Amino acid sequence: MIRGDHTFIRGTEQDDVEALYQLYMSGEIRAGLLDVRREPLLPTRDDLRDLLTRKEIADGTFYTVEDCVGHIAGFCSLRGHNAESGFIEYILEFSDTDDYASPMALEAHAFLLERAFTRLRVRKVLAHAVSGEQALTAFLQSVGFHSAGIQREVVFAQGDWHHLETLVLHSADLAVTGD
Amino acid sequence: MALTTQTYIRRAERDDLDTVVAWMEHEDFQRFLYGDPARSPKQVREKIVGMLGRAVGHTMPGGIYLLIDSPTLGPLGLLSLQNISWRNRSCSIDLYIGKAEHRRGLIAASAIYQTLEYCFHELNLHRVAAYIYAFNTASWRILEKTGAQRELVLKDHVAREGQLYDLYGYGLLRSEYDAFRAQYERSAGGFSLETMIEALRKAAPESGG
Repeated sequence: MIRGDHTFIRGTEQDDVEALYQLYMSGEIRAGLLDVRREPLLPTRDDLRDLLTRKEIADGTFYTVEDCVGHIAGFCSLRGHNAESGFIEYILEFSDTDDYASPMALEAHAFLLERAFTRLRVRKVLAHAVSGEQALTAFLQSVGFHSAGIQREVVFAQGDWHHLETLVLHSADLAVTGD
Repeated sequence: MALTTQTYIRRAERDDLDTVVAWMEHEDFQRFLYGDPARSPKQVREKIVGMLGRAVGHTMPGGIYLLIDSPTLGPLGLLSLQNISWRNRSCSIDLYIGKAEHRRGLIAASAIYQTLEYCFHELNLHRVAAYIYAFNTASWRILEKTGAQRELVLKDHVAREGQLYDLYGYGLLRSEYDAFRAQYERSAGGFSLETMIEALRKAAPESGG
């Protein structure tokens, strides 16, 4: 468990299934919860329990973010590590999108970057946001991510097409800004 | 131009396995497509066998594998539609031409256009994507000619021969493809794949790459 000033960050456990389920059922289209075909998933609680028993998750690549009083505020993860090309995908999902503007987001972000750049030694992290995720996009830009492009009309959900933006943060950019 | 008008695409079958396995042993196959050096030749072979050996079921598949064939030249290349989403009506395409001398010609262009016809007017997809390495100029130039937009540029994203190269993400919407198609319908006096390719050839003799 990582204890910050505003968060506790720990490996996701079976007991977190309900909070994760509610995130999927929130009705919002979230890039971090799309599958490889960019389709929104509607998992059951049992599906999520199965997911959390998978080795890569049990080994600690999926994390729960609690606020300072122990309520689950969201989840964060690193996935798709490509060691040869030196990148990994970064996911940060808060149930309440206002939390992207809170210190909790900065602490979870710092936690993920420490894992990515220091432990895994990747050169860059990639994040995705669908066109409706303004709070996530604004947060990512505020911490130094820059857009690598927007893929048009990738996701069809709730009767409309949604674009998907890919944002990138290079470790070298952090060195320049001194973060 | 007989080569291009006679080529066609068809489902890849298990009988094509030897041909495809021979292609996958090419250095270029690994360079342009499935170039993960951590994957052993046996693993790559298993991937191909899995692709071609997939039984035709009654459910809609998530991937379709096509052979570019010619009655005079035999099998020329492999085309795959990956990550087909029936909900988003989208897929991504990969193309490999087995014989290097055909990669810059109209055969590659013809295969791409036939595939796009199939994607948009047979499968009724809304969007086709392709991820192409920056050094694979011939491929992304063909795609750009269809109206596909370069939507994504990932700098230094793929490692080949110890160097990092950019990756381009292209997207083509059905409306854009239909506009492209209509353009050649006007200039060619009626749409068919052959007339479109012929019009393209006249417009740009080096249109293949």
